[in-house]
Amino acid sequence: MSIRSLIRLALSRLTASPARAALTILGIVIGVASVVALTSAGKGATSGITTRLNSLGATTVTIRPSGSGTLTLDDASALVAIAGVDAVSPSVIVNGSATFGLKSSSPTIIGATAAAAAASKIEPWAGAFLPDLPVGEAPRIAVVGATVASDLGLTAHDLGSQIMVNGVPYTVIGLLQQKGGAGVDTALYVPLDTARAYITGGSGVDSISVTTTPDSTVAAVEASVAAELHARHHIGVGKSDDFTVTDLTQILSTVASVQSTLVMLLAGIAGISLVVGGIGVMNIMLVSVRERTREIGVRRAIGARRRDILIQFLVESVVLSLVGGIIGILVGEAVAAFIAHIGGWQFSIDLQTIGIATAVSVVVGVVFGVLPARQASRLDPVEALRYE
Amino acid sequence: MSASKSEPIVSLQGAVRHYVSGDETVRALDGVDIAIYPGEFVAIVGPSGSGKSTAMNLIGCLDRPTAGRVEIAGYNVAELDDDELSSLRSRAVGFVFQQFNLLPRTSVLENVIAPLGYQSVAVKEARERATLMLERLGLGTRLSADRTQLSGGQQQRVAIARALVTRAPITLADEPTGNLDSATGAEVLALLRERQDEGGTIILITHDQEIAASADRIIRLRDGHVVDGGSPPRAKRRAA
Repeated sequence: MSIRSLIRLALSRLTASPARAALTILGIVIGVASVVALTSAGKGATSGITTRLNSLGATTVTIRPSGSGTLTLDDASALVAIAGVDAVSPSVIVNGSATFGLKSSSPTIIGATAAAAAASKIEPWAGAFLPDLPVGEAPRIAVVGATVASDLGLTAHDLGSQIMVNGVPYTVIGLLQQKGGAGVDTALYVPLDTARAYITGGSGVDSISVTTTPDSTVAAVEASVAAELHARHHIGVGKSDDFTVTDLTQILSTVASVQSTLVMLLAGIAGISLVVGGIGVMNIMLVSVRERTREIGVRRAIGARRRDILIQFLVESVVLSLVGGIIGILVGEAVAAFIAHIGGWQFSIDLQTIGIATAVSVVVGVVFGVLPARQASRLDPVEALRYE
Repeated sequence: MSASKSEPIVSLQGAVRHYVSGDETVRALDGVDIAIYPGEFVAIVGPSGSGKSTAMNLIGCLDRPTAGRVEIAGYNVAELDDDELSSLRSRAVGFVFQQFNLLPRTSVLENVIAPLGYQSVAVKEARERATLMLERLGLGTRLSADRTQLSGGQQQRVAIARALVTRAPITLADEPTGNLDSATGAEVLALLRERQDEGGTIILITHDQEIAASADRIIRLRDGHVVDGGSPPRAKRRAA
């Protein structure tokens, strides 16, 4: 028989007892839907996080002291000359307090230079960021992160007003846009020299952010930075560094690998439900073979070979499983779209996922259909015809 | 089929079929000689337990003998593997059953197409041949009907169309009128007779003497043996 008429026959079996068919394929539907929803949502979440991290500056390299090491402003100045470096932004970071009238906040006080705006991709929505200042000048001015500003009740009208930072008055010159994550919102920026003079003391810096030029790679700049600092800090080959160099791509890859482990785990669980669904298909096919013993006998009598019967039942279980798979894909994508809506990232249909899900449901149909189909094909035609 | 007119199209020589059930051996056929020639209309009769169903299974290539020789359309069935036997069954024999046995959830037309499908006849040709056959049997308007929408007589006519559509030389009818009223039964017998007129060999399995009487020759079985009519009378065989 042609494959088309076999498929039509199998579909007519589905519609013959819709309730039974629906219950049978429920396992497959749930299995495929969870696989599709999970992988699709997983991919969406990863790309969502990637986009967000990129907005925080994936082209920025950050150097921090480690162990007993220190970084100095001279270190920072030396890095400016390295090829591929766009801007260098040394900073000191300390927790502090701020008050405005009766309101107070506990910001992270960051002593920074004008270059920090580019390095951390921050932008004021009102006023301006820290200006370029000649060495030695330490005006008490502050640029306020969104969370701190809202804690203090600062609005655009308050530009030029004084707030108290660690008990000392500062003039507010800028308010930062809400950024989400990564500490910018809870930061209060003051000029680096001001921070060193009034807040931290000492000559060290807590971190140096290096922005790379568009035509250079982060990895190359990282290598040059490390080499320069090795020379400046007299660190010989084989000695351990007294600084660390990190960039957001490392965080990105960590996030991605955690994400993919999670997706694999969840997909594994969904896979188990597919197996359960497959057993459901096998069960109903075995029942079907028994119920249709006489039909099998008649088919043998009118000329069907064993393999014709085998193929007929195999096609039927594949169609059963595939219909479940298709419904599962639709449900899964709907769920993924919903999750994306809630998670606030872009939903996109991933063809690879759909392809795999379709292939998996065909495989489930074949694997769990073989046994019943073999049983059907091995029935003795005489016995089968006599079956009531 | 290549069997010539002078050779029997069905030949059972010392055919034995034993079934083992538990520790008891049932001798369903116990050395049976039957010869049926092309173009004959034969009835195989006997009470239940006489072995006529077993004989039908052997003639219909559904089963193989325990011993002895069964030749259908010139092929020794003992020498055929399962696929070859299926192929011989498909090409040599058309079945008509007492229970009609139309395929469930399958239209009248698809039922008649089915045996052609197993012969790998092209879909279009199969459709044409099946439609033509059904029109001939007066079912041209019921092509898309389901078996549940048909009377017993109509179902049996569909079954006959299914048996004849392959142009198989042998039509094997097992109590074809058993579930029909006598008028409808007579119509069915007339259809089988028509098939004989076209050169077909008709073999009727029945326990009903009256139905059997419509055949040209009656083969009587009892307790696994042929009692009467295993071969045609000499004069007739010459004529055939």
